[in-house]
Amino acid sequence: MARYVLPKERERQEYEAERERWLQKLPQMSRRDFFRTAAQAAAAATVAWKGFPPHSFQLINVAEAKQAAPKFTIAYISDSHILDKGMNHRFIRACQKAAQDVNALDPQPDFVLFGGDLAQLGKPEELTIGQGILKTVKAPVRMMVGEHDWYLDMGEKWREMFGEPTYSFDHKGVHFVVLNSVIVSDYWTEPKMTPIQRMLAMAQLDNPNGRPFTVGEAQREWLKKDLAKVDKKTPIIVFSHSPLYKYYRPWNFWTDDAEQVQQILAPFSTVTVIHAHTHQPLTNRIKNITFHGVLSTAWPWPYAPKGLPPLTVQMVRADPFNQFDGCGWGTVTALENGQVNKRYNLWDRNPLDVTWDDVSGGKKWVEQADAQLKGNVSWPSY
Amino acid sequence: MQKGKSLLVSMMGAVVLHLPQGVLEPEIPKQNPLTPAKVELGRRLYFDKRLSADGTVSCATCHDPLKGFADGRPVAVGIKNQAGARNSPTALYTGFNEVQFWDGRAPTLEEQAKQPLVNPVEMGQPSHAVVVKAVAVLPEYGDGFNAAFGARDVTIERIADAIASFERTLAPFTSPFDRFLGGDKQAISESAQRGFALFQGKARCVTCHEFNASFPYFTDNKFHNIGVAMKGNFEELARQAQSVAGKGAVTQQSELAHKPGFEALGRWIVTRQPKDIGAFKTSGLRDIALTAPYMHDGSQKTLEEVMDFYNKGGEPNPNLDGGIRPLNLTKEEIADVIAFLQSLSDDNGGTNFDWEQLKELSRKTRAGEIVAAPAP
Amino acid sequence: MTQWARSVMIIMMLALGGSLAALAAGGDAPRHQLPAPADGKSKVVGLCDGKTSVTVTGVAPGETMDPTKARAVASELMDKYDATLQVAHGGAEHTSREMKVWEAETKRVIDDGYKLFHSPEIGTNGISCDMCHPDASNTHPETYPKFQTQLKKVALLRDMINWCIENPLEGPKLADGDDKMKALEAFILSTRKGVPLDPGKH
Repeated sequence: MARYVLPKERERQEYEAERERWLQKLPQMSRRDFFRTAAQAAAAATVAWKGFPPHSFQLINVAEAKQAAPKFTIAYISDSHILDKGMNHRFIRACQKAAQDVNALDPQPDFVLFGGDLAQLGKPEELTIGQGILKTVKAPVRMMVGEHDWYLDMGEKWREMFGEPTYSFDHKGVHFVVLNSVIVSDYWTEPKMTPIQRMLAMAQLDNPNGRPFTVGEAQREWLKKDLAKVDKKTPIIVFSHSPLYKYYRPWNFWTDDAEQVQQILAPFSTVTVIHAHTHQPLTNRIKNITFHGVLSTAWPWPYAPKGLPPLTVQMVRADPFNQFDGCGWGTVTALENGQVNKRYNLWDRNPLDVTWDDVSGGKKWVEQADAQLKGNVSWPSY
Repeated sequence: MQKGKSLLVSMMGAVVLHLPQGVLEPEIPKQNPLTPAKVELGRRLYFDKRLSADGTVSCATCHDPLKGFADGRPVAVGIKNQAGARNSPTALYTGFNEVQFWDGRAPTLEEQAKQPLVNPVEMGQPSHAVVVKAVAVLPEYGDGFNAAFGARDVTIERIADAIASFERTLAPFTSPFDRFLGGDKQAISESAQRGFALFQGKARCVTCHEFNASFPYFTDNKFHNIGVAMKGNFEELARQAQSVAGKGAVTQQSELAHKPGFEALGRWIVTRQPKDIGAFKTSGLRDIALTAPYMHDGSQKTLEEVMDFYNKGGEPNPNLDGGIRPLNLTKEEIADVIAFLQSLSDDNGGTNFDWEQLKELSRKTRAGEIVAAPAP
Repeated sequence: MTQWARSVMIIMMLALGGSLAALAAGGDAPRHQLPAPADGKSKVVGLCDGKTSVTVTGVAPGETMDPTKARAVASELMDKYDATLQVAHGGAEHTSREMKVWEAETKRVIDDGYKLFHSPEIGTNGISCDMCHPDASNTHPETYPKFQTQLKKVALLRDMINWCIENPLEGPKLADGDDKMKALEAFILSTRKGVPLDPGKH
């Protein structure tokens, strides 16, 4: 389901009539059409209340094909960029807001992924505050590292608090892999940069002297070995901070050895990458791999001037008056067929759903979603 | 204040409102052009309690010229002393709103006028047909309908059209602030001038309470959850929302809006979108000092209470509008903003309507001296 | 060029053509070093700018041209004349020192703006402009003045910069004339060089 936009009130009556017509057609509608339309006040109690605030219970189990039936759901909170500037700081409040929202989910997700960049400047105080907030999350939390967590002390504090950044695990028939995909080549030792200088350099997204993120040879070797034991039909979900594809190099929306990583994943029939760092809804598909971005709780990045994956339905530009606009958290629902449905729970907006049906439908789905947005909206620039 | 067009009757019988320089004309539905005859008829219907089920409530009961065209109560009280759940907004300047009601469920003044007539806790008529009959049997209105619509027949459309037309003239623009905008720098106090600057700056009001020369009514006509409705349990509210799923019809919306518990759903009642739970329309601020108590449920009695509410960052709840945050205004700054708000009170009806005359009508109909405004 | 001016030109050139030697003897005045003729044998006529010249084929050096020919040569010289080389400010070219200062000062202000743009010190909550505007993206300076939704009135770029400083960055707004504001505007505008103006674009 793409964004929903309420028509102007003067067209309300037309809208109501159309909604009535839609409700009549409900039983005959294809699943994709059903989920593309806005969360209507459907009378039938068996209809899933998609798009309802997650802090209420959800009626699940829509009558749908076994293929795309949901198997389990996980939630994510990501890119909180916590600064140690008093507990009232909006980054801290936003992270707490996300934790509260996740805790109010009913049913609870199987586990919660933290997508990296817990701290803004990698300071122990920042990481500690973040850990404290994540400890209030009821479901088990799986951690992933981002560059803002790593480059003050090269991951020393992170390892101490959260363990090794690279690992894998199995859950309900899906093989999960967590990578540290923010490895960059050393440019700080020679000029004798201090730790904070290195951190500030890494923290600046538009750093013109930045080095590209990589997974690196060591981890690629590890990945090969790890996947050697996994059956090629087992669904794989990879958690990575950098996107594992190449979107926009100047902002490090980029993984330099993306092709090599994708190559390692190529033999598997269903692979999904859930990545952070980009602070915006993003959808991509390269061969057998689907890539979904996650939201930040702290602030949204604009869409890059070039390189936007064509499957992406862009979110409308954030309003800076609203301190939480363009931010949020989300969920990933693993399906019986091994693919995933992705939901972006944007605060102060209706949720944005990107389902497997949408992704497999290709560009046509994007065109339809864009056409739904009539009238005057503020698009991301470029 | 620059002289705009004065209230004149052209050859075609149209009414042109007196607006300050640069103010955009209100949007008037094509099927209800503004004429003096309609305004006159609307005025008479507005004060006539016989439109209600038991003859005790007229439009002017809740939108009383003596009380800033509101009613001074936290929530409206209709026939048989039944309390509703929403605070009566002022009828002043409503002709410039994009939509009517706290939840925007009526797209025009005409549509708005129809709803209280048949709301059980307001004017309580069983149907519009009954209202039409109630007016049709009154011989004194025949000429009025004829003059306004070219025929004596009464229909609900015509009743609504007339009332809406009368309401469109309730646009005074005679406040000290209007004079200040017109160039008289002494028209409002220095405190109020500082308050105006704060309103557009540190206090962050103007982004929702939109004000500019084209649209000087202090509302963006959008819906925001600032947490007023959120004293209760958000989960409970969401549960209630689910239980009324499917009840989309306009009459049901109107009832829900006055049902304790459900009314807190706000804009959600109309759009059924999760992000609209607890969101209400930004109130206009002209004459705000005349229309206490405040908020959609009248829960805030004074402007001081309102300012304190905003200063602390509203009421936290999962749907709180992200634009709301603590303001850190000092006591002096708050006093300045309040002084500014007080400068928005109109002195009189200006050239668009005769406020004294309407106050007199209100007094007389309340006292039972007359049953309705006399025919011209 | 008017007919009269052309006549003057012709007289000057005729004079010049015949009196180069005399000038050479004079010594002090700037000298137009005429290039060798393109065909190796004809007359070369130089323009008073000291740079432009044409080869007059079929006319020998020292030979006088008839008025028609002279006028044609004058036309050709004026066509070749690069007016942009003649700079303003009293008719003299900018010196290289002036141009260096010009560039250095502009770069300094833009660099100051870059630093401020990326600095968490403008606000009080650690947020910097580049967090929502990496490389000054999404700033659209070319669309001002326009009605700015957050301010509910028409704004210039500097009004929006100050609004952002006060609101998302929770810092004190910059006073009129503050160098910091100039620097920020300079940096933001410098990123949109070449983008057509589009005031009012939402």
